[in-house]
Amino acid sequence: MAVTLGYKNVYRDPHGYPEWQKMGMPIESVPAGQSQSSKEPKAPGPLYGWAMIWTLLGVFVGGMALNLTPCVYPLIPITVSFFGGQAGRAGQGRGKLVTHGLCYVFGLAITNSTLGVIAAITGSLMGAILQNPIVLIAVATILVFFAASLFDLWELRLPGGLTQAAAKSYSGYFGSLFMGLTLGVVAAPCLGPFILGLLTWVAGLGSPWIGFLVFFTLSLGLGLPLFCLAVFSGQLDKLPRSGGWMIWVRKLMGWVLIGMAVHFIRPILPESVEVFLLAGVALAAGLHLGWFDRNQANFKAFAWMKMVAGVTGLVLATFIITSWAMHGPGVTWKPYSNEVLQEAQRSHKPVIIDFYATWCTPCRELEETTFHDAAIVNQAEKDFIMIKVDVTKGGNPVHERLLQRYGVKGVPTIVFLDKKGREKRDLRLVDYLPPSQFIGRMAELKKSDG
Amino acid sequence: MYNRRTTFLALAAVLVTFGALWLTNRAVTPKEATWADVLAEARFGGYRIITSEELAKLYQKDAKNITLVDTRQEWEYRTGHIKGALNFPMEPTWWSRWRKAPALETFLGPDKDRLTAFY
Repeated sequence: MAVTLGYKNVYRDPHGYPEWQKMGMPIESVPAGQSQSSKEPKAPGPLYGWAMIWTLLGVFVGGMALNLTPCVYPLIPITVSFFGGQAGRAGQGRGKLVTHGLCYVFGLAITNSTLGVIAAITGSLMGAILQNPIVLIAVATILVFFAASLFDLWELRLPGGLTQAAAKSYSGYFGSLFMGLTLGVVAAPCLGPFILGLLTWVAGLGSPWIGFLVFFTLSLGLGLPLFCLAVFSGQLDKLPRSGGWMIWVRKLMGWVLIGMAVHFIRPILPESVEVFLLAGVALAAGLHLGWFDRNQANFKAFAWMKMVAGVTGLVLATFIITSWAMHGPGVTWKPYSNEVLQEAQRSHKPVIIDFYATWCTPCRELEETTFHDAAIVNQAEKDFIMIKVDVTKGGNPVHERLLQRYGVKGVPTIVFLDKKGREKRDLRLVDYLPPSQFIGRMAELKKSDG
Repeated sequence: MYNRRTTFLALAAVLVTFGALWLTNRAVTPKEATWADVLAEARFGGYRIITSEELAKLYQKDAKNITLVDTRQEWEYRTGHIKGALNFPMEPTWWSRWRKAPALETFLGPDKDRLTAFY
């Protein structure tokens, strides 16, 4: 290629480095300390002045973006019915409606901010709770429940007690505030996984005040469109009914919710079940939206929309199944035992120990991407002993001892042992790492001959 | 009428997806390049082949006037390379060659007559 660029004296040495090394010619390597892989992320410092304002502004925009997640769908009809009723009943002026809307969003914000404060106080525990199987199942159930409502299997109405409480003596602003507080409970656990990064960050800051501020701003961003909806919901009723296509859009939203429900319970399913479930949902959604749904509309683009949705569903299902079926072989893991470690030292092979749990998302990513990468599988088979320790269930004395010995605080943790069985602390991994960087660590481990 | 056309389109899309995935994911065992392959490739690319012994001689005589380029991946380079060689990771694919050409030109510098050895 250099020749096409006009270089004349171009040579290639096909044998290159290995032969050069054998001939004893001068070589060099990058010292282990300088490699980019052992960079530590900087601990977040306290926030002041402009940095604080910019951060909050970013959080606000992020909150608005959260409206794109399906968690907000259930809130839309509730908001409309609640405020539509209010405006109709009392015939209040616009000003009062705005105040009501503000109270509503304020209530929503308070519920969400509680989440932030708890995260800041309990440290990283919050993230662990949100990844707990029971919480995941609960969230998925709520999502399927709302999806059923979007499919018209039942009608979403406010619980009688709630409407009465809002309509009665505190039909005033307190009623709206109370609505916001309760609805926040619906949205918060669903939003949790989307803002897991933010939660961890807030937990790292450790200040309840900043935790509150960040999540309050986030909720304001989240609530802004709902606020507009609340203020204008009175007029919304007067709009003409928009025909069959609206029902179709509701069904589309319903399928998105079901897809999300499956996504949430992914970590607690075995891989094959997960793949078939996801593909099944995509297939069912495609067939339903593209073929079985008989809704018509008076504009032409609708037929196209239906077709695109249907075909996308089918293609997605094919994609999921096929890419799973064509997955190459992964790394062969050995269960932990002292004999395996001794065997490794006898044969002078470095050891990589992966501590994982079935519910942990980065562990899965590691397994599905990094440990299925052809180059890594190849290297692992040749020069490494790979050990996997499942710590999903506690109580195994051998595992407990291992966790203590290596000081493992959470999953995933990947421990690298050199040929003499000593741990290389600077290589240790506690998060997902893409294959290209992981192989760098493997090479570094192999090089360090202890 | 509408349904038949859509169904046909959907089946076509599914087949295309399947084919594309199969093409990109099928297991290909890389062929060991023989010396004849290397020579043919060199003729096609317009560059000359140099053996390690010859390169070593040139290197011992005048290392300063050779640009040594290590085309392996960065992690390979890090674990060990010829002293003085620079790393320019390059995958043996057309896509990579086309994409990295401008970068290579700046990497090699303006002197087009300089002795350049890739490995």
